[in-house]
Amino acid sequence: MSIAAISFFFVCGAVAIASALITVTQNNPIRAAFSLLAHIIALAGLFIGLQGHFLAVIQLIIYAGVVVVLFIFTIMYIGPVPKPESAGRPSFAKLFSIAGMVVVTGAVTYAALGYSPALKGLNTCPEAVAECGQFGGVEAFSAALFRGGVVPFELISILLTVAVVGAIMVARGRLIYREKPRRKKQELSIENNR
Amino acid sequence: MSPWLALSPLLVVGIGSLTVMMVDAFSNKKDDLSILSSAILIAAAAIAGSLWFGGLPPQTPEILAPYLAVDAMSQFFNITICGGAALCAMLAGGYLREHDLERGDFYSMLMLCAFGAMVLSSATDLVSVFIGLETMSLGVYCLVAFRRGSARAIEGAIKYFLLGSFAAAILLFGSALLYGATGHTDLLGIGQTIRNGNAELGLALVAMSMLVVGLAFKVSAVPFHMWTPDAYEGAITPATAFMSVVVKAAAFAVMLRVLITCFGDPLSAGAASGWPPIIAVVAVVTMIYGNIAAIYQSNIKRMLAYSSIAHAGYILIGVVAAFRVQNTAVSAVLYYLMAYTVSNVLAFGSLIVMGTRGKEAVTFDDLAGAGKRHPMAALPFIIGMLSLMGFPPTAGFFGKYYVFNAALQADSGMHWLVIIAVIASAIGAFYYLRVIVYLFMKDPETGAPQAVAMKSGYVVTALVLSAYFVLEMGITPSNYLKMALAAAAGLV
Repeated sequence: MSIAAISFFFVCGAVAIASALITVTQNNPIRAAFSLLAHIIALAGLFIGLQGHFLAVIQLIIYAGVVVVLFIFTIMYIGPVPKPESAGRPSFAKLFSIAGMVVVTGAVTYAALGYSPALKGLNTCPEAVAECGQFGGVEAFSAALFRGGVVPFELISILLTVAVVGAIMVARGRLIYREKPRRKKQELSIENNR
Repeated sequence: MSPWLALSPLLVVGIGSLTVMMVDAFSNKKDDLSILSSAILIAAAAIAGSLWFGGLPPQTPEILAPYLAVDAMSQFFNITICGGAALCAMLAGGYLREHDLERGDFYSMLMLCAFGAMVLSSATDLVSVFIGLETMSLGVYCLVAFRRGSARAIEGAIKYFLLGSFAAAILLFGSALLYGATGHTDLLGIGQTIRNGNAELGLALVAMSMLVVGLAFKVSAVPFHMWTPDAYEGAITPATAFMSVVVKAAAFAVMLRVLITCFGDPLSAGAASGWPPIIAVVAVVTMIYGNIAAIYQSNIKRMLAYSSIAHAGYILIGVVAAFRVQNTAVSAVLYYLMAYTVSNVLAFGSLIVMGTRGKEAVTFDDLAGAGKRHPMAALPFIIGMLSLMGFPPTAGFFGKYYVFNAALQADSGMHWLVIIAVIASAIGAFYYLRVIVYLFMKDPETGAPQAVAMKSGYVVTALVLSAYFVLEMGITPSNYLKMALAAAAGLV
């Protein structure tokens, strides 16, 4: 790996960790959402470092573009009320989350060390092989999606149709029910019968 | 064979459901949609039949190969699912009009659900298993919530949706672990990797139990049955019939495929290791609980819900037996599913025909004396109950007979399973016969609500068709058993 790639990795990694910490420690939800955005962009940078260009773009579009906007929209909708700083001893929730953080960090580190490629002899992709550069790229991804996996891809379109039609069906049922109050009587008589 | 031809039953149902949606949008006559959708479904069943008897390709077309099977078993289930869905669409044609619930989206949703069930029953890859399962389940949740004004319907739908989502998540987690353990998502590849000893066995066993949990939920086996009575009671009766028939058939199809293809090796399919003991215990608990709980129900739909739980238990015995005598047991399960489809459509159809708007048969008391007032409407009820009970010469009798026979052939250790099943079906006779007793031997109390039979050509057609098949499968079972055997032979 070149010096530039290594420094890119470290910059992105530092930004990702720092912004993740800010996200969970901020009291102001808007600031937390924006540091989440910074974290997501840094993660996309890490994906680029791993040759996952397509994943990086998707990460930006879906998470930065959609999910964060949705979060901010929801926060605005509820009203950004910063929680007052709690004085005195730290709450149970805080202690619990710090303990959880330590446990997860320990577990991940242990797993990463225990299952490192060098130790387990897993097949990693050497950079000299042409397909390895392709892996995670747009071309490789679309070939997998539209050539090998075209059947599940098309089946998912029916799944999405079911979801949309079902949502409309359930929502429309309420409208119809409101328009016809006389059905209520019948419902009641059925309930009485029981 | 071109992939288009191989996929044609699926394509007909998929495009048909979109057609029904368009016709619903641009036409004012809603009751014709019942004929249209059942005609499309019957056409799909006929196409599946002609694909099967006209000679299936020796090899699945390359583009479909890892994801969907085009074998005899998938065509068998295409026929069962489309036939069951067509009968339910006919029942809906009468029911929706009578109860002033007529909306065209019911039919298109029914067909989309049937599409999901067809995908599920021919899925040979964990990816397509999950997509099929979700397509079917999402549609069924909406069918349960169809009567939006009723609190019971919404309660049932929410319960079913939440528990179903958990079950799907568990199934998905199991699939991910199985991929991690073997490096394959196609069932055949997973099975070969496990058999060759290249899989991480501990992880594969955990994945297996998660898959069993997810699938046991769909077939409503105890202890994953909690949603069943509420969802069955809340849904409108044609949707209940659909759930009990189509969803169950597809879930058992995928259960057979996953267990036999993935976990067919001697270690995970042994008499004392792997899935057969787990499923045997689940079967025993399911049979006993379903039958005993059904006795205490005063609501007929809830009684039928517990009866469907009990039947899941009987079918699970056949699934267990498949670890030793694969062909006999799988064909018995397939025969049972077909028999159960027609018997259950008959039972729910008779419940529909026994009610007009505001005068529905909801509890046993509503049925009191109805057989004397409407003898022709009570006749299918009797046949349906006798078949569910397993009384010769009906389809239900031979279903039970073949399943128990397969269990006896499989292993001497399975005798106790059959003994428990026979005792459980004797308990079951109590609540099935109770319906007939109420129909003919009780008189309604003065002032109590009485069920009045409806008149509907659609419902009568569905009843006549299903009663014909119930009796024919009971009088000449060999033809259908041959079909089931041929279908079972296709399963590797």
